[in-house]
Amino acid sequence: MLANPRIWQGQAGEQSLPGLASGYPKLDRQLPGGGWPQNALTEILLEHYGSGELKLLMPALAHLSRPRDDATEAGWITWVAPPFAPYPPALEQWGVNLSRVLIVRPKKPSETLWAAEQALSSGNCAAVLLWPQALDDAASRRLQLAAEKGQSWGIAFRSLKARSQPSAAALRIRLSAGGTDLGILKSRGGRPAIVRDYAD
Amino acid sequence: MSTSDKSPVMPREAAPTPSVKRRRSVKPEQQALTLAPVMQPGPPPLEIDAIRRLWLCIHLPALPLEALGSADEAKAVFEECKGIRRTLLANAKARSAGIRPGISINAALALVPTLLLEERNQHRETETLKKLAGWAEKFTSFVCIEAPSLLLLEIAGSLKLFGGVKALRQHIVAGLDSQGFHAAVAIAPTPLAATWLARAGRKVCILDARNLRGKLAPLSIACLYWPDSVEASLKGMGVSCIGEALRLPRQGFARRFGAARLLELDRALGRLPDPRVNYRAPERFAADCDLQEEQSDSELLLNVCEELLTRLENFLLVRQMAVQHLLFRFFHLQSPATHLALGCVQADRATQHWFDLLKIKFERLSLPAPVIAIQLRAGRTQYCSAETETLPFNQRAKPQNNLSIAHLAERLSARIGDESVHGIAMVAEHRPQYAWRRQDVCNDVPHCASMPDYRLQHGSPGLLEEIRRNNSLMLQRPLWVLEEPRLLATENGLPVCDGILKLIDGPERLETGWWDDDGIARDYFVAQNPKGVHLWVYRDRKEKGGRWFLHGMFG
Repeated sequence: MLANPRIWQGQAGEQSLPGLASGYPKLDRQLPGGGWPQNALTEILLEHYGSGELKLLMPALAHLSRPRDDATEAGWITWVAPPFAPYPPALEQWGVNLSRVLIVRPKKPSETLWAAEQALSSGNCAAVLLWPQALDDAASRRLQLAAEKGQSWGIAFRSLKARSQPSAAALRIRLSAGGTDLGILKSRGGRPAIVRDYAD
Repeated sequence: MSTSDKSPVMPREAAPTPSVKRRRSVKPEQQALTLAPVMQPGPPPLEIDAIRRLWLCIHLPALPLEALGSADEAKAVFEECKGIRRTLLANAKARSAGIRPGISINAALALVPTLLLEERNQHRETETLKKLAGWAEKFTSFVCIEAPSLLLLEIAGSLKLFGGVKALRQHIVAGLDSQGFHAAVAIAPTPLAATWLARAGRKVCILDARNLRGKLAPLSIACLYWPDSVEASLKGMGVSCIGEALRLPRQGFARRFGAARLLELDRALGRLPDPRVNYRAPERFAADCDLQEEQSDSELLLNVCEELLTRLENFLLVRQMAVQHLLFRFFHLQSPATHLALGCVQADRATQHWFDLLKIKFERLSLPAPVIAIQLRAGRTQYCSAETETLPFNQRAKPQNNLSIAHLAERLSARIGDESVHGIAMVAEHRPQYAWRRQDVCNDVPHCASMPDYRLQHGSPGLLEEIRRNNSLMLQRPLWVLEEPRLLATENGLPVCDGILKLIDGPERLETGWWDDDGIARDYFVAQNPKGVHLWVYRDRKEKGGRWFLHGMFG
């Protein structure tokens, strides 16, 4: 019966890209496509900086920053307005290719969004990490569109207070204070879930 | 480009004065021409072999007018001479209204009250000639500027490339025409002959030096631009054209009018070499654009800037060069000029790229007053080779090269400042605060601690896993560091940061750097605060009591 072309299948319409493996199998199982959504914006909501938000991304970023095969070159990872200095020895321990890291420190909040949009839509960056002071619905939509245009992966780190705000991000994840548990608040093509001790 | 050499034409004969020339002409026709006493040295013989060059002369009779830009209305240029301002040149519309060169400007204004009058600007004329010389360099490598309104191009080496004399000449005339210059072009084997023919407005093309004499003979001596006194006395002798002047006895001619005049005639006929100096365009680009009136419309100013950038691109393109720094200057009538500097990571010459950068910076530039002129100066030029396009049948994806990320970095730094966009690298150093540094993007210098990096790049994927497993053996380093360690309060001897910290790993004692003035003596710990955040703290052992500092977060 499913072979009948006249029968509409809800899932088939969604032509989703395979996800980018996060390096944490427990998390990958909960995400549609088996990993981080590609060419899209991901939001990570956290209580305060330093609660394991970089550790969550490091395996995927390390993978992106290295040449995967002959056809794809190593991708650039742009950090827009990081709250502290990313420490190269630790990045290297995680396997990130330091020669592919670009740090941008805008002086004004409006420049953060502008720089992130430029980086996302340029098509040169494999991933763009940004720490905006505020990100309203329209801005998140712009970033999402820029990520689609530049085939890049945008990651916005936001305060947990932004949880109730609407957002155009394809994936929203809440990180617990200790950094051990994850709550998937929104996932395009997937469903909300809670992942405890995702790193195990 | 022509293949002829760049060096100026060197004289083959040592002394150019006719008296030193000793070889006598024995040809009957020349004996007849020189009517000279037997004792007198005859004219030097024509050395056909020595003349392998071909000169194209561009004469711009209306340069004083054309250098000031074109106008739709009646326009004239005037010059002050002995206190009287007389019109020098007038455009077609003014001429049709009856304005003739030489009439006073009052008379001209009486004829056409709306006449645009501008004073002759010789500086502008020189600049225009230089600009044209730069343009003419695409036809030949040997261009020389003959003041005040002449360009000489040595074209013998360019004929094959441009498809012959006729095609090349058409090419040049059409190019001049499209730039708004009315030119008289003549071609001859000697530069002086070409000059005189062009001045006379003869659109001739002489390829054989033997024909020079016949073609030059009917030209008026006014084309020679000799001093008025010389011209008057020649006229008084009944000599009005070059042919008649050539018939005069050589020694007498030299005595009356100076050996230099005779030398000129000999050079024009190809009897003596005529060395010229090649024009060398400056290695750096500089151009300016005068606006007709003060402008504050940013769109219009940007258009002018784009035009300047296009000229820059053309300048660089013929030289296979690129620049890294540009400086725009916006001049105002009342206040000092506004400067706008542009820089990029990789030398570039594309108009579009520079224009994009300019737009970003220009948006944020506040001009104190309307702009009257814009100047563009380029920094040092660098050699730049164009990249090869990927062939269509080559299925391999076009690699993301450093160049494109460089463009992104430029765009970002153009708006938010140069020091705000950078890459990072490791430094082999035990002191944590010195274990890294900022570096320019696209700087391909391998960083020091690249041993594991090397293995990762050249090893199998299994190696990555191996190194990750070894991570636990490595020293614990946080992903976030504070640029300045933050002093922590203490409670019962333990540091406090959002609650009392629990030390879970450490100490790692670092005591080094005594050789410079920034030595450290610290015990580093991995600590956890009550919320579960992992912190990197240290106790400073230099002081008694040991204050605690927060240096990083494991993130």
